[in-house]
Amino acid sequence: MPAPNPSSVDSAAAPLVRVRGLTTVLSGQKVFDALDLDIERGKITAVMGPSGTGKTTLLKHITGQMHAAAGTVLVDGQDVARLPREGLYTLRERIGYLFQNSALLSDYDVFENVAFPLRQHTRLQEDLIRNVVLTKLQAVGLRGAARLMPSELSGGMARRVALARAIVFDPMLILYDEPFVGLDPIALNQVLKLIRTLNRELGITSVLVAHEFAAVREAADHVHLIANGKLVASGTPGELAKGDSPWTAQFFGGALEGPVPFQYPAPPLAPAFGFSGARS
Amino acid sequence: MKQLAVRLFDPLLDGLANIGRTGLFLLGLLTALPRGLTYPRELLRQLWFVGAKSLIIIMISGLFVGMVLSLQLYYTLSIFGGTSALGTVIALSLYRELGPVVTALLFAGRAGTAITAEVGLMRATDQLSAMEMMAVDPMAFVASPRFLAGVIAMPLLVAVFNLMGIFGGHLIGVTWLGIDNGTFWSNMTSNVGVWKDVINGEWKALVFGVFISLIAVYQGYTAPPTSEGVANATTRTVVSSSIAILALDFVMTAFLM
Repeated sequence: MPAPNPSSVDSAAAPLVRVRGLTTVLSGQKVFDALDLDIERGKITAVMGPSGTGKTTLLKHITGQMHAAAGTVLVDGQDVARLPREGLYTLRERIGYLFQNSALLSDYDVFENVAFPLRQHTRLQEDLIRNVVLTKLQAVGLRGAARLMPSELSGGMARRVALARAIVFDPMLILYDEPFVGLDPIALNQVLKLIRTLNRELGITSVLVAHEFAAVREAADHVHLIANGKLVASGTPGELAKGDSPWTAQFFGGALEGPVPFQYPAPPLAPAFGFSGARS
Repeated sequence: MKQLAVRLFDPLLDGLANIGRTGLFLLGLLTALPRGLTYPRELLRQLWFVGAKSLIIIMISGLFVGMVLSLQLYYTLSIFGGTSALGTVIALSLYRELGPVVTALLFAGRAGTAITAEVGLMRATDQLSAMEMMAVDPMAFVASPRFLAGVIAMPLLVAVFNLMGIFGGHLIGVTWLGIDNGTFWSNMTSNVGVWKDVINGEWKALVFGVFISLIAVYQGYTAPPTSEGVANATTRTVVSSSIAILALDFVMTAFLM
């Protein structure tokens, strides 16, 4: 199992993830403009915001899959962008990542998918690997599905298998990228319960990127609302729901118009339909 | 005028940039190769997939190419009264040219496209990103074994193709057209050299294997994560590999003559 970072002992009270002045430009467009935010240890923090606001991009910065134009992302005191490949991989062994589409390895069955990180990074005996994998599958309620192939799983089951794989190393941090998308209410509640259980019983810090405010309200301790490349609101779900800023009013109140316009920027309407602009 | 120049040169510059990117990818691949060797099970799985599973098409094609060669060459040689050289000419044609080239084209069509589609879909479904997130380098775990398996499989498949081609040629020449069995074999064994003919053909096979595998893995690895992206990448694998095979064949033939 990966050893904890010594620096984490000194800074146990400090945020696990600290983002400062993060500026990201993608295809000429500024996704983040000097973004600052913290992810507290042992808590479930939801990152919300309009579509295309860069929530998944933020997760990619935290895991070092993407580098910023400026600013820093510190995870457990380590500057992710400055880590060499080995250091980055060591850090990633302590981070679980749940992909939006589960990203199970299609050539392997459920058991081998969950065993994959163990086989790659440890030399555990086969019976020990078996016990660890079955324990994790039992935790997500899928021990009986160990020999099914990913193509035989429903969306909710695939999400739970991916979760079992993400926790197989007992990580310090789990990043959930849209974990509720495409799930029926039963599967959604199952995943929601698992997220809460993992956080509260194992003390894993969780970052939840989601749009479903009802689910976030039940699971998250803290919510960051990102829009226009900046942190526009931050607080508990209850605080944000009652917030009176135009952002929270539109995002949580569901108003059609607000800081995020309904219409994508376009030239004036009349010329587009072939009418002259002004009447004499 | 400027626009015309841009239109003319843009595809050329794109092509050159693509060759450069492929070269850089090859460097990354070679760097990851030693780590790729630490996954012997994956290498064996890929050898089975690109090598063993290509055997049927290679054997059938080799048999028919040998049979057609025998018929065509018998007709041509009979004009000059040289049908006794049939075995020699079949063997030389296969070892020096047809074996490596036809096998490479078939290999690009069967294994190359399969590699591109598989790796491209792994990219599109975030499987490669998932490996990155599990601290497993996909260049070592996915790209290297597939590349290496292609390089190992090609010379072996060419040997099988040649064997089947000679068998097909013998079947038609000796069994059907009535050429003397002893003449067929003795002329062949006395005129075909192991080093200058058989091994030269195997060198070609090795080089073709490197290029096809590189193109297939590169196209899959860099395919846009959409169904159209994967489809285009698969097409590019066949087109680029075929052109590379024929161009390299000319260059290598010129040097190996």
